[in-house]
Amino acid sequence: MIKLTHISKSFGRHQVLKQIDLTVEKGEVVVILGPSGSGKTTLLRCVNYLEKPSDGEIAIGDYRLSCKHASKKDIHQLRQKSAMVFQQYNLFKHKTALENVMEGLVVVKKLPKEEAKTRSIALLEKVGLGSKLDAYPSQLSGGQQQRVGIARALALEPEVILFDEPTSALDPELVGEVLAVIRKIAKEGITMIVVTHEMGFARDVANHVVFMDGGVIVEEGPPAELFNHPKEERTKQFLKRITPELNYSI
Amino acid sequence: MGAPFDYTYIFSYFPKLLSTLGITLLIVAGSLLVGIIIGFLIALPRLYRIPVLNTLARVYVSFFRGTPILIQLFLFYYGLPEILKLVHIDISKAPVLVFVILTYGLHTGAFMSETIRASVTAVDRGQVEAAYAMGMKGHQAFTRIVLPQALAIAVPVFSNLVIALLKDTSLAFTLGVMEMTGKAETLGALTQHFVEAYISLALIYLVVSFTLEKLLLMAERRLLRHEQPDSTGNRRFRLQRKRGYRRLVAGIESGKGGAEA
Repeated sequence: MIKLTHISKSFGRHQVLKQIDLTVEKGEVVVILGPSGSGKTTLLRCVNYLEKPSDGEIAIGDYRLSCKHASKKDIHQLRQKSAMVFQQYNLFKHKTALENVMEGLVVVKKLPKEEAKTRSIALLEKVGLGSKLDAYPSQLSGGQQQRVGIARALALEPEVILFDEPTSALDPELVGEVLAVIRKIAKEGITMIVVTHEMGFARDVANHVVFMDGGVIVEEGPPAELFNHPKEERTKQFLKRITPELNYSI
Repeated sequence: MGAPFDYTYIFSYFPKLLSTLGITLLIVAGSLLVGIIIGFLIALPRLYRIPVLNTLARVYVSFFRGTPILIQLFLFYYGLPEILKLVHIDISKAPVLVFVILTYGLHTGAFMSETIRASVTAVDRGQVEAAYAMGMKGHQAFTRIVLPQALAIAVPVFSNLVIALLKDTSLAFTLGVMEMTGKAETLGALTQHFVEAYISLALIYLVVSFTLEKLLLMAERRLLRHEQPDSTGNRRFRLQRKRGYRRLVAGIESGKGGAEA
C-alpha cells in the first residue's frame, strides 16, 4: 500500500503541489489525469524522490519517510521500493536490452549474474522481445524500447511501478503494443500509478482515477463514475475537451 | 646554414632519432597519467559545484590554458626549486624528466578537466534519473552509467589532447632533455645537416601521431558501438573498421621501413 500525506512541492515561488493526499491499495491501478502543468508528473516523481517534496510524508509498504528530514540513506531505501517507466524510456544507451534489465538485479538486488540473466530473459520474453536480447536501445523502435523499460521495472519486483506518460513520446501506431503490455501486467495484480493522456486506457484498466488541476486533486473515484458522472465543474470541462477522441471507433 | 643538403642523412638519422623515441613516449605516457588524475580532481569540484574548490579549479584551468607551455616549463624547472628552498625542501637534484612530466601533466590536466566536465554534462540527465529510480547509489550511477557514456563522448577530444601533447613534448629539449627533438638538435649541430635532421624528425612525429590517431579512433568506435541504428549499419561499420585496421597496419609498416633504411 502506498500512502502520500500532505505532499507539497514548490519550484521557487511557484507552488506546484498543494498538500496532496493519495492512497493506493495493493494491486490497484491508479491513473492520474489532468491538463499539462497540473502537477501530475511532479507528484509521481515525488514518490521516488526524483523531485524532492518540500513537505509531507511518503509511505510505501512498511517503509515510511518524512520529507522534511530525509537523509540520503532514507531516500535510497525509498527508491528501492518503487520502479519507474519514463516518457523518454531512458534506457541505458550503452547497454543491450538484456543488460538494461539485468542491471538493477545485479547492482541493486545483488543477484548472482546467472540468475539475473535467466530472470531478465524471461521478462523480456514476457514483453515480447525475446529475440532482441542483444540489441542496443538505438537499434530498437520506441515501442520496443518502452517495453524493455517495462521489463526493467518489473525485474526489480517493486511494491509499485510508476508510469510517467509511458506512451506520450511514441508514434501513434506504436502506442497499442505498449498499452497491451501494461494491461497484461496490470491483470497480474502489480500495483501501479500511471500518469497518462490515454483516456481509453484509463477507462478500461484503472481501478481508481485521480483528476488533478492546479496542484490539487480536484476529484477522484472509480473510472465509471468519474468519466460518466463527474461532479466538479473543472473535471467536466477537462473531459469535454478530451472525450471527443473517445467517440472515434476504428 | 650548415653543410649542403644531402638526403641520405635523412635515412641515417632515423635509427638515431628513434633511439630517443622511448623518452618522448615516456613523457607522453607519464603526463597523460598525471593529466588524467589531475583532470578528474579538477573536474569533480566543478561538476558538483563545491564552493571554494570550484573557484580554485577555475583559477587553475585559466592559468594552464592561458599561459604558453614553454613558460610553464621554465616556471616549474627554475621557479619551483627556488620556492621550495624557502621552506627548506631541496629538489634541485631531482631529474629534469620529473619536472618535465610534472609540467606537461599539470598542463594536460587542465585541458583534460574541461573535457571530462563537458562530457559528463553531455550525458542525458534521464540516464542518471533512471539509475536513481532503480535504486542505485550516487557512485554506482556515476561509474556504471554516466562514466562509460561520458568516455565515449570524450574520446575524440581526448585524441586531440594526446596528439597535441606528443608534439608539445618537443619543447622539453629547451630544458636539456634528450628526447627526439633534443636529439635532432644535437645531430644537426654535430654534422651541420640541420634540415635533414628536421625532416627526419618531422616524419617520425607524423608516423607516431598517425598511429596514435588510428588507435584512438578504434577505441572511439568500440566505445560507441551502441550508437549503430540497425544491422546494416552494423555491417558497414565492421567493414569500415577492417579497412581502418588495414590502413593502420600500412601506416606502421611504412614507419618501420623508414627506420630500417
